[in-house]
Amino acid sequence: MAKLKILITVYFAILSLFFISQMNLIPIIAQEEITLTAIFAEPKERWDMLLENATKILNDRHPDKTIKIDYRVLPYSDTRTQILTAMAGKTPIDLVSLDQIWLGEFAEAGFLSDLTANTQKWNKSSDWYVQNWEGGLYNNQVKGIWAWTDVRALWYWKDLLNQADINPNELENWSGYISASKKLKQFLQNDGIQGMHLVGAAHSPDMWYPYLWMLGGEILEQRDGHPTKQNYWYPTYNSDLGVKSLQFLKDQVDSGIKPQINHYWGQEFADKKFAVMLEGSWLLGQFDKNEWNTLEEKIGMIPMFPVPTTTSSNTTTSTLMGGWILSIPETSHNKELSWELLTIILEPNVLIPMLLQQGYLPTQKSIGEGQYAAKLKSTIPYYEELVSLISLGKGRPNIPEYPIVAEHIRNAIEQVYNGVDPKQALDEASKQSSKALGW
Amino acid sequence: MKKNLRHSSIFTYSKWFFAEKPIIYILLLTYLFITLLPLVWVLSTSFKSNEEAISLPPQFIPNNPTFENYLFVITEPHIMHSLFNSFIVSIGSTILSVAISALGGYAFARFQFKGKNILLSVILGLFMIPVLINIIPLYIMFSQVGLLNSLLGLVLTFQILIIPLNIFLLKSYFETIPRELEEAALIDGCSTLGVIRRITIPLSMPGFAIAAVLAFRFSWNEFILPIVLANRPDSMVFQVALYEFVSLYSIEWGYLTAGINIALIPILVLMLIFQKQMVKGLTLGAIRN
Amino acid sequence: MRLQNNRQKPWVGSSIVFIFLKFAYNRIELLILKRFEPYLFLLPSIIILFVFLFIPLIWNIYISLHDVSILTIIKEWNFVGLKNFYNIFSDSNFYNSVKVTLVFVCGSVLLQFGIGLVISLLLNQQVRASGLFRTLFIIPWTVSTVITGFSFKFLFDDSFGIINYGIEKLGLESIGWFSDPNLAIWIVIVANTWYGAPFTILFLTAGLLSINPTIYEAAIIDGATKFRRFFYITLPLLKSFILTNLILVTVWTINFFDLQLIMTNGGPLSSTTTMSLYMYKQAFEFGYFSEGAAVGILLIIMNIAVAFVYLKLFDVRNKNT
Repeated sequence: MAKLKILITVYFAILSLFFISQMNLIPIIAQEEITLTAIFAEPKERWDMLLENATKILNDRHPDKTIKIDYRVLPYSDTRTQILTAMAGKTPIDLVSLDQIWLGEFAEAGFLSDLTANTQKWNKSSDWYVQNWEGGLYNNQVKGIWAWTDVRALWYWKDLLNQADINPNELENWSGYISASKKLKQFLQNDGIQGMHLVGAAHSPDMWYPYLWMLGGEILEQRDGHPTKQNYWYPTYNSDLGVKSLQFLKDQVDSGIKPQINHYWGQEFADKKFAVMLEGSWLLGQFDKNEWNTLEEKIGMIPMFPVPTTTSSNTTTSTLMGGWILSIPETSHNKELSWELLTIILEPNVLIPMLLQQGYLPTQKSIGEGQYAAKLKSTIPYYEELVSLISLGKGRPNIPEYPIVAEHIRNAIEQVYNGVDPKQALDEASKQSSKALGW
Repeated sequence: MKKNLRHSSIFTYSKWFFAEKPIIYILLLTYLFITLLPLVWVLSTSFKSNEEAISLPPQFIPNNPTFENYLFVITEPHIMHSLFNSFIVSIGSTILSVAISALGGYAFARFQFKGKNILLSVILGLFMIPVLINIIPLYIMFSQVGLLNSLLGLVLTFQILIIPLNIFLLKSYFETIPRELEEAALIDGCSTLGVIRRITIPLSMPGFAIAAVLAFRFSWNEFILPIVLANRPDSMVFQVALYEFVSLYSIEWGYLTAGINIALIPILVLMLIFQKQMVKGLTLGAIRN
Repeated sequence: MRLQNNRQKPWVGSSIVFIFLKFAYNRIELLILKRFEPYLFLLPSIIILFVFLFIPLIWNIYISLHDVSILTIIKEWNFVGLKNFYNIFSDSNFYNSVKVTLVFVCGSVLLQFGIGLVISLLLNQQVRASGLFRTLFIIPWTVSTVITGFSFKFLFDDSFGIINYGIEKLGLESIGWFSDPNLAIWIVIVANTWYGAPFTILFLTAGLLSINPTIYEAAIIDGATKFRRFFYITLPLLKSFILTNLILVTVWTINFFDLQLIMTNGGPLSSTTTMSLYMYKQAFEFGYFSEGAAVGILLIIMNIAVAFVYLKLFDVRNKNT
């Protein structure tokens, strides 16, 4: 009997705990209160800036509502995982930031709502750079808007190159790059500064693609004869052009350049731990804002990736374009309101202060070159050169299987860093990729 | 006399090992050094600014000791809130798991019933399951009943980490309490409730203590489950908040180490308080395993 | 007089009903509740474990037999039988992860157990402040894996880690702990040992304390040397403790992937990708949930097999003593 009493008490306690936690103790509010939820990728400051302004404007436009934005800012890979699990559990999310390479995957999975009708009414698509607009399309539907972009270029400390008696032009071709790196190593060894930076982190494929592209190679190509889809993408990155371009990375390692496993997105360059770094234009955000007007004296920038040779046939350089896409998930309960928020974030008066703060590049022609460009030109160092790179830049493939293919390529690069022959590594990777692509 | 025997050395009375005691101390101190080195280093780094933390050469004693890291962590409402959440979840989960495991352990210890051994083996078997594979199913289940991002959901989920272990622990513990004691009290006119209250529970305090400490430790330190099941700012727990301190952009070692030290305090205090009981609890509890 | 009678009647009536109910209730309790008492005691545990552990397990088996990936998760799940298992078994990365798991588990368990045993034996000698030592030794286990991972990552960092600094001070070249495929796994093992050894120390200390010291006294009088005392008295008496400890530590290590994720993310060259991390990556980085579930099932089988092996090795008879 007594034992039973204990049992009942325990059960009762558990049940009451359950009910108490379910009680909603929120008072009734007169105004309609709407909370939009969002998942964004770090860094946090840019979202704080954008959303502070955007929320105010949105509320002004809807005096009958109180609108709050509850946004979570997460590390890069967690962003993808969180969006993935949210979609899998059908959790309502109103706005997400997507890396351009996730778009195909997420669109194919049915996570993203179709914005085509909205964008037609909005009628601003013509203002976008073509590649950036198309980057948000999947199966001819608008699934996301490319909000801002970045390009990767060659940055160097002018004083360090002077010390080592290196002319920046030497960096422009492959052999010159390597000989310069050896010279730098000699001079800077004792100061604890490394010469060239080489990416060994998770995004190493991004830093290899420009070399593949500038030789005319492609990561993937459409081919017929696919088992299920008639024609589909096939890995071609292990072509001779691929092998040749990867050989350049191997030569760098062989000449003593160490691949860096940890990446600090330009901070390591700003801290003068490296003399030369191929990095995205976001690097500017790592420098103090008050240094910006004198930055061009200290830091040099060459708008290119080193090309095989600069003497004979003009191999046009290439670069990788990145950036973030804004999308509205299919699970959102407030699609119209979220769309409005999205458009407000992209308005020049909201977006430009953030671009100026972080050193990002716009995807809208009016900001990049048109009426608003002046402010950007005068504030952001090397602005015009960076914008000029956009036309030379390519984005990565938009297909659902891309993230997996990228992992295979990353593995191949890592193997090459550890001494494996490029052709062998690439062939192995492409075998895995073609399987993943369904061949 | 008894104390002497208790720590009777299997090495004493041996004739030819003079230097034995010092060797033992040297070994222990070496291991102590290795054990504490990371923690001391983390403590030291927490008093350095973020820049000094990654500068060369590394110093044990900071050049410019500063409290700014701790100030930063404490004044971040997000982080303090997650600390609060961790407390609630850990304490709730501890109470729940000890209650449930005590009931279960008592049943296994005192009753004979059909399927007893099968059930025991099943519970042991469930313990073999890696927690990770449950995440997606749990996530989908929770989203359908509205338990996502709720502290209650976490409390319930953490039980799967603790209950099998605690049931075994408390079962073994109850088994060491002689039935005769309980029966004698019953004969003397004590009610069954009184028996449980006056005899069983007090005698099993060490067992309860270690069950509680284990439960708290598993709940406080868990981060894989909450990262998926409760990731909203209002329901985040501290370990997850700490993990998100690390962005792909740069690891702010000053802040991170300050946060680490703050996370250590509750669990350390708990361990220190219950240290004696824990050893006692494990002794008697694990014999019959 | 009549009024009193009227007032008394309801009392009588209700008290008769009350006694009857109590009697009936006691009867019911005896017949039904008493019989099911043990099950009622176990009910909360069973409910929670069933809902939160068993059902997800069934779900997992289901997922592993269907095509569930990031692309199909909110759409239809096609039945594919054992295809997911086939995919895993034809993935060279899987075999690599099995190899890494063997290294990781053997290294971790041996180190943890070895160090744990030695330390708990040492502590059991007449050591002053053994309580203080013990308390300090337990600290690593109270620390979370997040903290352990980052602390060791910090310590062994190439550029600003204090370990490399110490090495350079000695005149040697700094070592790339995390960039050498052959070395990285050992750093993770060291971190795991640091983290897990206290549990073994705690466990075995408890075991050692449970040994009646008079046994040693008797043995010493009989002239047993310390080695004989150790192997013929201490070890056998510790058997059940050691067995339990080994099973727990091994199973936990097999399922463990936090440190690999935090310290090296499986690299370099997948040299720290254990099966558990492989499972995580399949599910959450590639979005191949089915394959992840399949690996999970293989892990469970592995765990059960390990437990059986241990039990057999230690001669099951002893367990029931």
